[in-house]
Amino acid sequence: MSERIRNVTFAQAIRTAIREEMKHDEKVILFGEDVAQYGGVYGATTGLQHEFGDDRVRDTPISEMAIAGMAVGAALAGYRPIAEIMYCDFLTQASDAIVNHAAKWRYMSGEQFKLPLVVRSPAGGGAGYAAQHSQALEAWFVHIPGLKVVMPSSPRDARGLLKAAIRDDNPVVFIEHKDHYSYKAEMPTAEEIIPLGSAEVKWQGTDCTLVAWSKTLTYALQAAEHLAKEGISVEVIDPRTLQPLDTDTICNSVAKTGHLVIAHEAVKFGGFGAEIAAQVVEKAWDNLTKPPLRIGAPFVPLPYSQPLETFVIPQVKDVVKQITEYLGA
Amino acid sequence: MGAIDRQQLLEFYEGMLRIRFFEEKIRDVLHPQGLLRGSSHLCIGQEAVAVGAMHALQQDDYVLSTHRGHGHALAKGMEPYVMFAEILGRKSGCCQGKGGSMHLAETALNFVGQAPVVGSNAPMGAGLALAARLEGSSRLAATFFGEGALNTGAFQEAANIAALWRLPVIFLCENNLYAISVPLDKSSAVTRLESRLCCYGIEGRRVNGMDVVEVYEAVQQATEQMRTEPFPAYLVFDTYRFQGHHTADKESYRPTEEAIAEFRERDPIHILEYKMIDDHTVDIDTTIEYRDRIRDEIDRAFEKAVAAPWPEPREALNGVYAQKEAE
Repeated sequence: MSERIRNVTFAQAIRTAIREEMKHDEKVILFGEDVAQYGGVYGATTGLQHEFGDDRVRDTPISEMAIAGMAVGAALAGYRPIAEIMYCDFLTQASDAIVNHAAKWRYMSGEQFKLPLVVRSPAGGGAGYAAQHSQALEAWFVHIPGLKVVMPSSPRDARGLLKAAIRDDNPVVFIEHKDHYSYKAEMPTAEEIIPLGSAEVKWQGTDCTLVAWSKTLTYALQAAEHLAKEGISVEVIDPRTLQPLDTDTICNSVAKTGHLVIAHEAVKFGGFGAEIAAQVVEKAWDNLTKPPLRIGAPFVPLPYSQPLETFVIPQVKDVVKQITEYLGA
Repeated sequence: MGAIDRQQLLEFYEGMLRIRFFEEKIRDVLHPQGLLRGSSHLCIGQEAVAVGAMHALQQDDYVLSTHRGHGHALAKGMEPYVMFAEILGRKSGCCQGKGGSMHLAETALNFVGQAPVVGSNAPMGAGLALAARLEGSSRLAATFFGEGALNTGAFQEAANIAALWRLPVIFLCENNLYAISVPLDKSSAVTRLESRLCCYGIEGRRVNGMDVVEVYEAVQQATEQMRTEPFPAYLVFDTYRFQGHHTADKESYRPTEEAIAEFRERDPIHILEYKMIDDHTVDIDTTIEYRDRIRDEIDRAFEKAVAAPWPEPREALNGVYAQKEAE
């Protein structure tokens, strides 16, 4: 067992991954708004410009279309750009380059090109940033063939998955939760790459499979702990990457528990939970003792005021209550 | 004609004829016979820009094109056969039939491809130029676009960063006077397009896009300095598309037939022919010889492409992702 560093923040883990990969491969470059001198609005890129220089770590103007489009161009020329889009909501501005170009250039060209680029973007609510700085838009991007979508829930996963994303020859949308940057947890000192497409059982259980990712995974673990005290044994699975999706790990768990719950922060209607539910229904129908349950936000933009925001985003108590009802009914 | 020698003129002539005959084959055969899926955007009338510019660029310079890109692809060196095969959706097409008329690309020629979402290739061009700059090479990125692209946010964002970061990207604007149906004076607040990037410190230059020699010299001059002192360049070529926006365009927005005729008198191929004949560079028989040879080359490429096999339907599932993952 390797020696562990305790109390590494999520932001430090991201920085560690980028730093290691910039040392590993000089084709790795980083640009985005406020990422260089300032070190990122969440501090995830602090010190990287100082270490790797002005050429490889660059502040851009507020130009999301250009940031994403330049990442596509640099990737086509053999570089491995990491582009930061300051908020997931602003991916809407960058989406032409990501959705129409990065995702499709390889396929459209008959596999002549590869596009090794990563778009990092903080998502999610809970801190009162209101409707235009808090969305979780992962469902938009998993729907696009050619993209990979990663949403880590811990510092260790963030580092290992980001390293894998940077080394991958495909465009990866890497979505971090803005409430997570100061979240501390263990991370091994040894270099670790976590393959994209591998889920992890984060909490073992026998009564119900609970799939969650990003910050909701943290809530899911708290809910599982709480439910364990009430005699309900929940198995918590973090898919970690939504595209490609490790359905085997989820189906194997459902084979054991017979129950499936998916919880996410994004709006429930059209959310990624529906895809996971459908996958399990198609592949493991016989193992389900009842229809899957989805927990997600109601169909409203995210409101500002704390009681309103807390009401909309699924909380630990909501997960506990809904799972109790689901298993009891 | 200054330093341009006979051999170069004939190369220009051949390049423009190849584009013209290729496009006429699409207009007169593929489209009417229903062999063309979707639509195709012809550049008949704009051949001088593609040929003149590409001759001034170097082989390792990156080129990004637009929906109206057959001419750029041919001028960069693509074989008419792989282009026809692609446009016909055949397996032997340059993109295995997955791209079609708007997505031709050939990495070995540094023809990075066509970006038919108008304006989107400017940031990509800046990204390619950033890569060129980082690797310390003298290569540059060239992005072609129609005047309509100047009105997009993506283009303006890219122009600003390109100047800010002193990137070796050359913006080549083909002003053919129409953004689909909307004329220039109804789409741009300023019709002197060469002034549209001056706020970023990028001085534009207006060039007669119907004269291949003028195009060649302008691009040559603009790129010379960029190779040693990277900074974006911007040229606006006055040109005209003799065909509709695409093959099914009704062209109801065109002015009177007389005005079109005026442009037809400035056909870039005729201009070069007259010049060469007047200068005694070639005689009429030579031009006929060239025309027959290139037309024959296009005919044969087309016949071969029509006979080429289709892809297996299941090949639609291949090639979405590159296989290499993290080790």
